[in-house]
Amino acid sequence: MTGFILRRLAQLIPVLLIASFAIWAMIFAVPGGPVGMMVGENATPEEIAAATRKLGLDRPIPVQYFNWLTHAVTGDFGQSLHSRDPVTKLIGERLPATLQLALVSILVALVIGIPVAITGAVKEGSWVDRLLNGWNALALGVPTFWLGILLILLFSVELRWLPSASRYVPLWEDPNQALRSLILPGLTLGLYVSGILARFLKASLVSEARADYVRTARAKGVSERQIVGHHIMQNALLPFITIVGLMVANFIGGAVVTEAVFTYPGLGRLLIQAISTRDYPLIQGCIVVILVIYMAISLIVDILYAVIDPRIEYR
Amino acid sequence: MTVQEGVLTKRRRRPLPPLGFIISLGFLTVVIFGAVFANVLPIDPLAQNIVDSLKPPSGSHWFGTDELGRDIMARVIFGARTSLVTAAGAVIIAALIGVPIGLVAGYFGGWRDTVLMRFIDVLLALPNILLAMALIAVLGRSQTAALIAVGVAGVPSFARIARAQVLTLRQLDFVSAVRGFGCSSSYIMFRTILPNILSPLMVQVIVLSSVAILLEAALAFLGVGVPPPTPSWGEMLRTGKSYLYEAPYYAVLPGLVLTLTILSFDTIGKQMSRALDPRSGGGTPGELERAGP
Repeated sequence: MTGFILRRLAQLIPVLLIASFAIWAMIFAVPGGPVGMMVGENATPEEIAAATRKLGLDRPIPVQYFNWLTHAVTGDFGQSLHSRDPVTKLIGERLPATLQLALVSILVALVIGIPVAITGAVKEGSWVDRLLNGWNALALGVPTFWLGILLILLFSVELRWLPSASRYVPLWEDPNQALRSLILPGLTLGLYVSGILARFLKASLVSEARADYVRTARAKGVSERQIVGHHIMQNALLPFITIVGLMVANFIGGAVVTEAVFTYPGLGRLLIQAISTRDYPLIQGCIVVILVIYMAISLIVDILYAVIDPRIEYR
Repeated sequence: MTVQEGVLTKRRRRPLPPLGFIISLGFLTVVIFGAVFANVLPIDPLAQNIVDSLKPPSGSHWFGTDELGRDIMARVIFGARTSLVTAAGAVIIAALIGVPIGLVAGYFGGWRDTVLMRFIDVLLALPNILLAMALIAVLGRSQTAALIAVGVAGVPSFARIARAQVLTLRQLDFVSAVRGFGCSSSYIMFRTILPNILSPLMVQVIVLSSVAILLEAALAFLGVGVPPPTPSWGEMLRTGKSYLYEAPYYAVLPGLVLTLTILSFDTIGKQMSRALDPRSGGGTPGELERAGP
């Protein structure tokens, strides 16, 4: 088991190295290079020389990259060019907001996606199934940002029930306010994720339903509810776990867009602001953090899968 | 009905006549027609008329007017051109890079496979909208940058499909026969194998078109895609969002056209993959590949 985890970690290393090198190299895309970025356009040659030394740009490229990497590993991405705050501090302020949105969206996705998948699988081929398939196609096909706008039009502009722009209020400080701010973005992102969840879970359920042990259980006279809830569901969840990684990718992308629709102060919006002001250290920091979160979740999922499914060998 | 029965009846039933497919095809024909002939039509997406700003849909402006008094319908039609050109360019880039990578990796295997697929893993290390945003951060904001960014994000799916197809084909007799004649590896890859994997690649072209249109719109919506004043659906949604109280139709109508275009591509892609592989349920792998918006 330990060997399996270690090998899985070892596989990540080349990907992380190449990706981090690409992210580091972004800084050279700035007009005027990293030095111009630091001293501005009207700098004297002395200022430029001083900045070059300070940034370590007079050293060989591999050394420069290695220096950046060692700082990055300890969570130091330098200063934002715009606010001059440490990048880590800015990201730290936004991360809880995104996590809170993620939590609510996952809840929404589970509450909608699981019943849709089970009903679709049990009634496969019926008109209910076709209706639910259509619903799923919509959940997947309607762009998140347009869905968000439609929800704002209905709940904020017409009905005036909920705010159109969401603030970040920590759930534990003021649950009521926090939820009011989170319902619309959570619904927008959650509906999209529920589409993916339902589609895969249903496919998984349907293929498990054809297995011999289901026939045996039915022959024994086990109730249909027991068969679906216990026998099929438990086995169907296994292949389903493998697509969680894919869902996380969809989820992160969806979160960036959702935050933009509701002007929600999360990590995604920080990244967009950073890109539009060409704040490279901040862009690098955001992308590295997202990359690491994404890879960590994929890794955990793989390990979980191996732990849960006794049929997988760790060799 | 039990689950088991459901499975069996579904397998025996013949597919319904694909009405959705015909509607989708019709809708896309209209969109493509509009995009191609936008110049010839008596419309101007840039003509401003401040007096007529934010007017609701009427006989003279079917989709209403925007904050500068420009005709929204004209902008939607020219937006179709931006969308389709970006998507087409992106799909071509993705195919030109992805297919050879997949062919070489699958055909030779060994270290070439390891190196190339590791490179693909790096591209997959970020959700594709973030990869596109990172590329735009480097390239600056322009239509070309949007096109390249969306194209690069599509490379992995072509590479993976081509590779998987090659792995099954390279064992077959006709490939061994060509090899027996003493033909070069590149001849076998591009002249023998490639023509035989064109159908699944064509499905991927359709699937990726829908992904590319969505991604382009999402980038524009985030304010990092095709820059204004070029009409773009995503940009219109972005601006329209600021006028939800005064002019709700502003964001709704362009969004509707965008959504219908994406759904049409999805429907056609599904139908094509079902025709190619009747055993599959018709779900397209790419539907979930879009990772994001």
